Amino acid sequence: MSHKVALFSILAALIAGPAAGQTGAHFYNIDKEIRFEGTVREIVLEPRYKGTAPFLVLRVEDAGGGKRYNVEVSPSWFFGQDIHGGEKVKVVGSLSEATGSVPTIIARELQLRGETFKLRDKRGFPGWQGGPQRKRGIRRFGSF
Amino acid sequence: MIDRGFYIMMIRKMRFIIPVLLIAAVSAQGGTVYLSFIQHSTRNLFQTRDGVSDQISAFSLSINQDFSALSFLANLEYSAFRQTTGLSFFSADGGFDCLLPAGKKSAFYFAAGVAGAFYRREYAAFSSLGANLVGAFKTYLAPSSILKLQWQGVYAVYKDSLFDYWSQTASISIDKYFATRTTLKADAEWGYKYFLHPFLPEPIEPLTEPATMIATPIGMGTETGYGDGWGGQQYQGGNGFIPRTSSEDGGAGIGHVALSLLAAQGIGDVVGLSASAVQQWIITGENPFLSIEEFYLVQNPSADAFSWEGRQITGRITLNLPWSVELKAGYTYSDKTYPGVESLSLEGLPLGLVRNDLRHLFEARIEKNFRRVSIFLAYSHVDNGSSDPLFVWKSHYVMGGFEWNLPTGRKGGVS
Repeated sequence: MSHKVALFSILAALIAGPAAGQTGAHFYNIDKEIRFEGTVREIVLEPRYKGTAPFLVLRVEDAGGGKRYNVEVSPSWFFGQDIHGGEKVKVVGSLSEATGSVPTIIARELQLRGETFKLRDKRGFPGWQGGPQRKRGIRRFGSF
Repeated sequence: MIDRGFYIMMIRKMRFIIPVLLIAAVSAQGGTVYLSFIQHSTRNLFQTRDGVSDQISAFSLSINQDFSALSFLANLEYSAFRQTTGLSFFSADGGFDCLLPAGKKSAFYFAAGVAGAFYRREYAAFSSLGANLVGAFKTYLAPSSILKLQWQGVYAVYKDSLFDYWSQTASISIDKYFATRTTLKADAEWGYKYFLHPFLPEPIEPLTEPATMIATPIGMGTETGYGDGWGGQQYQGGNGFIPRTSSEDGGAGIGHVALSLLAAQGIGDVVGLSASAVQQWIITGENPFLSIEEFYLVQNPSADAFSWEGRQITGRITLNLPWSVELKAGYTYSDKTYPGVESLSLEGLPLGLVRNDLRHLFEARIEKNFRRVSIFLAYSHVDNGSSDPLFVWKSHYVMGGFEWNLPTGRKGGVS
């Protein structure tokens, strides 16, 4: 019985935890969704939301007019994927508040190296999962 | 035959665990919940010349919840084997991880977790409980070059204590992206696995015929003491699992180093190509068991990344097609030798050769992403040659399923 009590305690702590990263001004707004193509110029880790790990942020230069964007990806992607400066990337995301003079895009979908990575669903709900720990387990044929 | 007791036990556990996790997940704003179902079909479950068909249904529930700098991960899975019902298993794992930045270009990653897998009847010996720790560091040496260091330690105890082990792996990798859209990556790994007590005690009466000793299944180990072997032994007359005997107590370790190289090339917006090669050497010890077995979908404790030396070459293509469809295909050639594992004839007689397998693996997978659901279909073909005739086999594997991403945040939520 004691293990059930322990499990309930852990879950109760989780339920009572903060609603991470919700701010009035900075959220995924599907009405402000844009698409653009550009080149990654810089990769940084930046604190974005109170109570969450820092986010991977890409400084991307638009292929057309040389306009720059800060593309907010996710916390776990810093270890989960290797993105390099100079890589061409297609971004689908929501235009959010500007940090200084550079507009911020909350990324929903990234396309690079011929692969598409879904970060959020079409309504903006995040879909990323943990870092290297997630990669353990048995290799299944066909699972890539 | 249905193990009624097992089902009752499973239903009782699930009846408690799943609603609690679902309630917790839905209540925990900003978390992520995945439900998935995968149906597998195989004509060679035990991966031997004596093909055994089966269909496997795998259900899983995963939850990922961030709070503060920590992320909580939990996963429950049940895999039901239609024919070989004894292999049906329930597994669960959970843990915490965190990412700690060290400047704007670097970060540390730490994770700690526990995991359990629970089998029944003749495969109960595979049931295990374990813990693992991960530490990693990643830094951008330049915008186009990444250095990664990682260490992982695992400790696991099994129902059959023959398999109890601890292991650790350390790796370093460096990569570079070029303006030609080419990525080159080099990786070096060191690993060591120590089985705590892998040997059966010497029989009191010495056996006069070594061949008989090897061909006869001695049992599943010190705890369970079943008379049957696993896999091939029980199905169409193969060798089954064969532990070693030893007059001395104590453990046995096996260590390796590995080097790997990868080259990836993007072509246009649609095509991604990659080629990789791995060379692995056993630098200390050998496999403590006399046999190595790989079962489809089952984490078999006698075979893993620590058990072989040799090489593996892989080529892959990814096509990013219209309508959110992705197609991946790959080919892998592997040449693996298992030190300490002797090849046996089909009669169980030693052939005087260390077991060596040459494998050709073709894989293809197509995936379509909808708003919240992803569906996929995958096909694999394996052509396995071996110095041990039991492990000369060809077979197909098919799997298909879906993954459902359950929203638990508010609409438009950030994270």
